[in-house]
Amino acid sequence: MKPKLIIGIVAIVGFTSLLMYNFGNSISTYVNFEQASGMEGAHVVGTLDKSKDYGFSMKNKQLSFYMKDEDGNVRRVIYPKTKPNNFEEADKLVVIGKMENGVFYANEMLMKCPSKYNNNDGSQFQKASKSS
Amino acid sequence: MIGFLGKLSINAAFLCSILAAVGYFLYSRKDNNQYFKVSNWLFGFQGLFLAVASGFLMYIILTHQFNFYYVYNYTSSDLQLKYLISAFWGGQEGSFMLWILVSTLLGFGLMKWTRKPFRGPVLFFLTLTQVFLLSMVVGLPIGDFTIGASPFRTLAEAMPNAPFLQSNPDFVPQDGKGLNDLLKSPWMMIHPPILFVGFAMMTIPYCFAMAALWKRKYNEWVGPALPWTLGANVALLTAIFLGGYWAYVTLSFGGYWAWDPVENASFVPWLLGTAGIHTMIIQRKSSTSQKASLLFAILAYVAIVYETFLTRSGVLSDSSVHSFVDLGLYNQLVLFMAVVTLVGLGLFFYRYKELPSQQKESKFLSREFMTFAGAMILFLIGLVIILGTSSPIIGRLFVDNPTPPEVSFYNEWTMPLAMIAAIFTVLGQYLFWKRQDAESLTNDLLWPVAIACVLTLASIILGNVRNIYYMFYLLTAWFTVVGNSVIMLRLIRKNPMLIGGVLSHIGFGVLLLGILASSAYNKNLLDQSMKNYNAAIERGEVTDEQGFLKTQKVNFLELKLNQPKIVDDKYKVTYKGYTLRNQERPGQQQYIIQFEPADGSGQQFTLKPKVYPMLSSSSMGNIQWSVSPDVRTGWLSDIYLYVSGSAYVERRNEQAKEQAKQRNQPVSSTQKDSLRKQKITLGKGQTVAVGSYDLTFNSYGEIQNKKLQDSTMVAVRANLEISPRGSDSSAPLSPIFSVYSKDGENWTYAPPVKIPGEKEASIQFSRVDPTDGDIELTIRGIDEKVEEEWVLLVAEEKPFISVVWLGTFLLMAGFSVSIFRHWGRERKKSA
Repeated sequence: MKPKLIIGIVAIVGFTSLLMYNFGNSISTYVNFEQASGMEGAHVVGTLDKSKDYGFSMKNKQLSFYMKDEDGNVRRVIYPKTKPNNFEEADKLVVIGKMENGVFYANEMLMKCPSKYNNNDGSQFQKASKSS
Repeated sequence: MIGFLGKLSINAAFLCSILAAVGYFLYSRKDNNQYFKVSNWLFGFQGLFLAVASGFLMYIILTHQFNFYYVYNYTSSDLQLKYLISAFWGGQEGSFMLWILVSTLLGFGLMKWTRKPFRGPVLFFLTLTQVFLLSMVVGLPIGDFTIGASPFRTLAEAMPNAPFLQSNPDFVPQDGKGLNDLLKSPWMMIHPPILFVGFAMMTIPYCFAMAALWKRKYNEWVGPALPWTLGANVALLTAIFLGGYWAYVTLSFGGYWAWDPVENASFVPWLLGTAGIHTMIIQRKSSTSQKASLLFAILAYVAIVYETFLTRSGVLSDSSVHSFVDLGLYNQLVLFMAVVTLVGLGLFFYRYKELPSQQKESKFLSREFMTFAGAMILFLIGLVIILGTSSPIIGRLFVDNPTPPEVSFYNEWTMPLAMIAAIFTVLGQYLFWKRQDAESLTNDLLWPVAIACVLTLASIILGNVRNIYYMFYLLTAWFTVVGNSVIMLRLIRKNPMLIGGVLSHIGFGVLLLGILASSAYNKNLLDQSMKNYNAAIERGEVTDEQGFLKTQKVNFLELKLNQPKIVDDKYKVTYKGYTLRNQERPGQQQYIIQFEPADGSGQQFTLKPKVYPMLSSSSMGNIQWSVSPDVRTGWLSDIYLYVSGSAYVERRNEQAKEQAKQRNQPVSSTQKDSLRKQKITLGKGQTVAVGSYDLTFNSYGEIQNKKLQDSTMVAVRANLEISPRGSDSSAPLSPIFSVYSKDGENWTYAPPVKIPGEKEASIQFSRVDPTDGDIELTIRGIDEKVEEEWVLLVAEEKPFISVVWLGTFLLMAGFSVSIFRHWGRERKKSA
């Protein structure tokens, strides 16, 4: 084989494996609160626990609420923005952030909104930061 | 009836497109002009039927026929005409139709301008893509399975399980769900159509590549394909720019680019198309890179179909903010993608052996190598983005249920690749116009490198750049701008029509500068107390109400009415109140935020961000608010702000909740008594604050006698004015106070008047003090506490966004110049 070809193949293989390695690291799977501890940018799916107090605090400028993840763990979540639209109506919430001392600090939040009719629109996640 | 005719037209168009495809196929094989003529007629009829169907669709939208699912789902009767028109492409079905319409028009152009032997195959493949696109909207039932989702299906057909349709199948809703409020924007009128022009045009290089492979004419196809590819490129770029600008100025996305899958969906084909343009130019000049040109032309269209699949099949519904709803087209989209890819790549590899290959290796310092390398880098960037966008699918290799990649994944990979591409643009251009060896190239580049270094140093010092990586990035960007500018000056003297390439490359360099400045040096505008608070958070000294440590910084700017704050030692910002306007959207508030230079010198300006209730998703008990930011654009920096919350919004939310609660409870007799009651005394000309209102006593007024008892002794009217604090809207109130006698006793008659906008609250003129003329008012149902009027803002300073736009415009201009040049040459050839 020509040396140029070998260099080419090595470069392609190197590039691809580095890319895939990095890609694999930059995605994660959805976890529960227990698994989220020690993770950066953990994605947790759950529902709002309405039995506990929640709301935006003008004093601390943060939204805090309790969320129950899919395995039933309930944790306090803090989100440093105002309460997004259809927060209470959302079927599911996805919070993205990190767990610290039993509190989940979310940097981003997505909401999965219920469809009005069972056969109508598939539900959609909405990024919280994109609505007030 | 109209639904039937609509479906019939689409079905007829579908049938015609199939027949036309067969006809073009036979024409390509047998080269009999009769086939060509018949196919052209069939293609024309396809277009005609589709135009008729589009007319029907427009008609049912404009006449509000809500028994149709499409009309119900995307429009409402109060929608303005312009948004009714844009609702045509507001949904998935209509947008497919728009795409085919554009594609049909391009088909007529191809019929006229394409020469043999490409004519037949090009039109065959174009028609083939239309067959697939039409199948998405044909709504043809085959057994239990329906091909495509027809825009003319009725509510009952679309939602057989909806409760209101099960009880009454002929039910026609009074009104539709309305267009998503975010789409009620003038940009919605122009952004999607231009995008579909780009999608449709990008089909053409694919068709030419396939025609070249079919007819074994591997060189000649580039000439006619190049202007179309450049056209597709400009259309996509314009659409991307419009989308970015729309997101920035009206959607409060916080920026112009977010690596959202739908954004990527238009960007990747653009990248691959641009890579194709580079290899096509090289192929035209020196008959090399045929394989790459063919491959990129195929892949650019494959990318369009693949990203269409991703955004429209529901695969991305979890990860994108604006992916389409799943209409059950998954299988069809997979088939479409498979056919386009397999036929494209299949034919390519079938012919691979006979494809011309390069006789001798091109040197590193040759225009062929540099341009080819540049194209490869664009291709790699495209691959990285496709990989990231495909995370819901490809991510499964790594984890179950994968999340989208972090934004840093895109940035970390595209940045270095863009830097290499930037250097190559300069080397490529220096080699393109003149044969050079290493020595002469070094000599030529001496000055551009020196100037670029000076400019980079200046940027580092002025911009206070501390990051080494950014410094190097800046150097490559400036090198691109300077190097290409030098070439451009030379070319202008020779022939201004030649500058397309260099102009685009200058645009690329300028874009790189703008992207770094606007994204890495974006900062929140905060006042000193908030900065101190954030510093305390950083030191770990702040805990919240529940005793939890606060770790996230606060990026809000809180303003009280008419109490200015100094932000960043640069501006004095004052909240001057809000206007309640109903013109644009019912219930919209426009906040008035005044900026003055902190040191008092210079110009003051006002920003007016808006908040409005989302009609389509609000309910009685819960109002959903949407925001529209306001941007002050400047050459050096933009100020971008939106309202995150306000006292007014808070009150409206509470009222809505209160009302919802009351509706669910029987009205109890004690409720009236439980209303808060307060008495205030007010002199003429005075204003008092009551709850969240300002109440002014203007004057006494006359009373017409008819309303009063005959025996009235005293009767006065107080002319009051009440306005929500901080707002420009006010309402007059004129309660009366009268004393009359009956059966020898004195009675007062002073009926309470309702306060507009409040359900229970009223004002009663309860007493007048004859000595000083003061009046006493009894106010019910309004909180005694005087509420402060505040607004919570997110304000950001974004440097050099203007440079991003400038770079984009230069790119567009460069590509446009190239279109004219290549198109002009093609015209001469055919003449």
